[in-house]
Amino acid sequence: MIAFHILIPGKLVRFLEHANVAFVGVRDRDLVPFGHRVSGWQVGADQRTMTILVPDEFLEKLLESLKENGELAITVEEFPSHETYQFKGRYLRHRAVQEDDGEMVERVRRRFVKSLKPMYADAPEDILKSFISPPSLAIEFDVLEIYLQTPGPGAGTRLVPPVEQ
Amino acid sequence: MPMTRLPPEIRPVLENGTPAAMVTCSADGKPNTTVISQVYYVDEAHVALSFQFFSKTIRNVRENPRAFVCVFDIAGLAHWVLQLQFERSETEGPVFDAMDMQIEAIASMTGMSGIFKLRAADIYRVHSVERVQHPRWTASWSNG
Repeated sequence: MIAFHILIPGKLVRFLEHANVAFVGVRDRDLVPFGHRVSGWQVGADQRTMTILVPDEFLEKLLESLKENGELAITVEEFPSHETYQFKGRYLRHRAVQEDDGEMVERVRRRFVKSLKPMYADAPEDILKSFISPPSLAIEFDVLEIYLQTPGPGAGTRLVPPVEQ
Repeated sequence: MPMTRLPPEIRPVLENGTPAAMVTCSADGKPNTTVISQVYYVDEAHVALSFQFFSKTIRNVRENPRAFVCVFDIAGLAHWVLQLQFERSETEGPVFDAMDMQIEAIASMTGMSGIFKLRAADIYRVHSVERVQHPRWTASWSNG
């Protein structure tokens, strides 16, 4: 299959700067899917790649799948508006988290806690903060397709590259 | 350790109203992730997921029945991972009726009335289920 590089539109780059929850999916050699929580994300300077930060859970399985087939999909949501997009792509590389990744996680954590406060008014803030776990690994991938996933009849529409009419 | 039956302690988590994450995979090997509003407890070996739109998820599980679901227990500092296998779709009966009622309730609570509509209750067999505890936040996390 030929993979065409795409440019993440500015509107979606801005969305990613205020979204507050994400989840990444991969699959193994037997096409069995598996998912992982995501603690942070960032668009590459070229707007063609993304880096996600994942906590220390099932990392061996995640890396084995990525190295074996490279396929991944990440859903990013802004709660409570439910504006949601899915970014599908191909694994490029991974690395251990670095000190400057901490701010990326802290921004997501602040947005997540702010969005959940009205629902969990009685919950201590440190409980809500705990949901965004410290990451162990950064994964960089090429973004190849972007889909709208905001609930509604248009959910599932491919936005980038646009579907030919 | 993964279990093969849903333990009683997962039931309140399934009913807590927090959206769950789902991953499926097409026959040609493309994973698909999505947010789902409801994971319904059927019995200790089965859950039902709502089929509301003709989505990629729905197409995927009909060509590759394996699915992954993650449900979140925010107050309990944990999440549960479920490996599932699609078995059948129900458009009537007690599971469908109960899910339909819950979907309406979730829709009204989340401002999605008129958008969420149950087409079918998709029944999945549980391959495995595992609880993952989250570390508790401490101030040191903020120091990078």
